[in-house]
Amino acid sequence: MISINHVTKEFAGKTAVKNLDLVIPDGKIFGFLGPNGAGKSTTIKMITGILPIDNGTITVNGFDITREPMKAKKIFGYVPDSPDVFLRLKGIEYLNFIGDVYDLPRDIREEKIDYLTKSFGIYEALDDYIQTYSHGMRQKTVISGVLLHDPDVWILDEPLSGLDPKSSYTLKEMMREHAAKGNTVFFSTHVLEVVEQLCDEVAIINSGQLQFRGNMKEMKEQFEADENLERVFLELTNNE
Amino acid sequence: MNKTLRLIHTMLKMQYSMAGKSTGEKLGYLFLLLFLVPFAFIFISLMNSIVATLYQQLAPTGNENALLGLLFVGITFILFFVSLSSILSSFYFAEDIEGFIPYPFHPYQLLAGKAAAPFISLYLTSGVLMVPILTLFGIHSGASFIYYLYAFILFIIFPVVPFTVVAIILMFFMRYANIAKNKDRTKVFAGLLSFVFIIGFNIIIRLNQDPGQTAEGAAALIQEQNGLLDLITGMVPTAYFSTMALNYARELSGLLFLLLMLAISTGAVLLFLLAGQKLYFKGILGLTAGSRKTFDPHKVTRKIKHQPVVAAMIKKELRIIFRTPTFFMQCVVQSLFAPVFLIVILLFESSSSSFSMLGTMLGQFQGKTSLLLLFVFSLFILGVNPASYSSISRDGRNWPANLYLPVHPEAVIFSKAATAWLINLLSILLLAIIGIAVLNMPPGLFALWVGLTLLASWFTSLVGTALDLNQPKLHWTDEQEVFKSRLISLFALLIEMGAFGFIVIIIWNIDAVEGLWMTALLLALLLAGAIAISHVVLKRLIRTHYHNTI
Ligand SMILES: Nc1ncnc2c1ncn2[C@@H]1O[C@H](COP(=O)(O)OP(=O)(O)OP(=O)(O)O)[C@@H](O)[C@H]1O
Ligand SMILES: [Mg+2]
Repeated sequence: MISINHVTKEFAGKTAVKNLDLVIPDGKIFGFLGPNGAGKSTTIKMITGILPIDNGTITVNGFDITREPMKAKKIFGYVPDSPDVFLRLKGIEYLNFIGDVYDLPRDIREEKIDYLTKSFGIYEALDDYIQTYSHGMRQKTVISGVLLHDPDVWILDEPLSGLDPKSSYTLKEMMREHAAKGNTVFFSTHVLEVVEQLCDEVAIINSGQLQFRGNMKEMKEQFEADENLERVFLELTNNE
Repeated sequence: MNKTLRLIHTMLKMQYSMAGKSTGEKLGYLFLLLFLVPFAFIFISLMNSIVATLYQQLAPTGNENALLGLLFVGITFILFFVSLSSILSSFYFAEDIEGFIPYPFHPYQLLAGKAAAPFISLYLTSGVLMVPILTLFGIHSGASFIYYLYAFILFIIFPVVPFTVVAIILMFFMRYANIAKNKDRTKVFAGLLSFVFIIGFNIIIRLNQDPGQTAEGAAALIQEQNGLLDLITGMVPTAYFSTMALNYARELSGLLFLLLMLAISTGAVLLFLLAGQKLYFKGILGLTAGSRKTFDPHKVTRKIKHQPVVAAMIKKELRIIFRTPTFFMQCVVQSLFAPVFLIVILLFESSSSSFSMLGTMLGQFQGKTSLLLLFVFSLFILGVNPASYSSISRDGRNWPANLYLPVHPEAVIFSKAATAWLINLLSILLLAIIGIAVLNMPPGLFALWVGLTLLASWFTSLVGTALDLNQPKLHWTDEQEVFKSRLISLFALLIEMGAFGFIVIIIWNIDAVEGLWMTALLLALLLAGAIAISHVVLKRLIRTHYHNTI
């Protein structure tokens, strides 16, 4: 469970996230929506400890990210919005590095790397430099790294962008399974079809402020005339 | 034309912009500039005395124009060298060209944009020598206004030909040579080449040092008018034409020579643009990074192994340094430069037996003196460790990974400092080889010296890392930015020189400290103190800065 309590973040006088209050429960796939520049990535970066929080607190399974960062960080896995990390390493070196960071035993590591990279179709590329990977391959490498240590809480910033249909399907299945086991899956996206298929609950943010939080049914009910999610989204994020 | 200028402006702005620099850093540049003013005076008066002496010696035989010839030939060679590195970095190593290609620019416009940065380096270089020497020559020879006008025009057009020659050779080479297929390898190759070039240049100069012969040859040549000039400028026609233009500035032939220079330079520009369109784009777009080989599952499983986090972090740092050409050149090759240079000099001088005696001489010195001398010497050779003051900045956009992965901040930072220390180990190893093999140092002295140097190297690694953590440069697009146009190496130098100078001066002046072992003990204690302080400072910086770097 992730709980965001009255969190505010400012960049050089501009408020990117304003008094955000949000609880992401266990056992559900939680979608985080909003137009470009709404503050999604900023929020996620505060949850993961990349950006310091100006005001408010964030806890992951009860551990405060600012006060007990090590304990909190061991619980979640994070896929950043840009998968261009450690380009000078080979895929396998990156995954082994992640394994060392999370102190995974060797046999588990080997088995999981084998399973994950084969299901994403990047196994054969493992001995190449990440620099030579395509965008989607990099994305899948990072995702494999996150799933390697089997974290309870998944935090994914636009995880499906750039994935081909098969990999996208694989990841969505994995997200469903993980949530079904009672864990937390929190991801941001722009793709409304994905939201419709996948999410149990959604939060919509615009200009750093929460516009809506609830399940899909509630979202549609609130705008009774619309059966089209796109229209609902546009209405919710309309500034005027 | 307007569009070309706009493009040049944009390309230059991306390279030299002061945006994103803190006011502290800007102030630092200002101080550096002020600091240079007295040096400029010393430089100009030095130039003045050289020009005056040579002019007085050459004028009686009518050979004073040889001075100009010498200047133009010398400048040509310097410009060749500057062109080589600046064209490589602007044309081939900067990544920005791919960003511009999709836009509707003519190829010649892109080439002009790319040439702008090298030309700035060329004018800065030639300006330092040409402007004062040509002015001083004019004063000494009582030249007319036309001379100064011609000199100015020549200053503007003179770099064109060396630039074009180097650019065309490079573009041709990069287009057809095999190394160009791999960008990373080319970078390392070019870096090593200039390294070898400088050392080879030094060796040639050393081999040719036979002063008697040179003087005789010069004396014979001065017999005939213009003989010296012909000799000097024989290989460089543009230097000859430029000299003649200035020499006969008052006459029509001077004007003709100037027009000839203008024509040659215009031709060179056209040739550059023409050849560039044929060679450059094909060469650059063929560059790829990395190579593909067949896949072997066993190789993959062999790479999976369990190790402590700190070991994994250090390994990762070392891999990135050795695999990124810029980091490899800056952190590894450049810091090996001084020790390798030293070895070359020692090998060439060893015949004169003065150096092989040095070891025995050191043994005869008082233990204290020889240890302190050696210690200062090795610090001087090691210099500031670039791997240390780039610790954080090297991560660039990967830095956030340190923040979201569950690794303790101190583990991250100290493994970076340890990496810098490990890289310095290479230079220390070379120094140690010199000490044992060339200088025949006594074993006790040798062991103490190496031990103390290792301690000192830990101190410099910590200082560099702390400075970088204090103000890292994470938002770079090209790795060069981590090292270029930052004052951090200067700060590192000041702090390290201050600390070591303080320690050495204290020990030197305490008369009660005598003998090798006592000196070593005190030195070790003071170094340990300095290390302890830098540990405390670094830990404090981790607390205040680690999470606030973005
Ligand atoms: N490092 C930064 N410095 C200054 N402003 C920033 C920084 N990072 C983000 N911002 C600003 O914060 C706001 C929120 O950005 P954020 O990246 O969170 O948007 P987002 O919802 O993830 O958008 P997208 O859908 O495009 O990914 C934007 O207005 C952005 O300009
Ligand atoms: Mg985003």
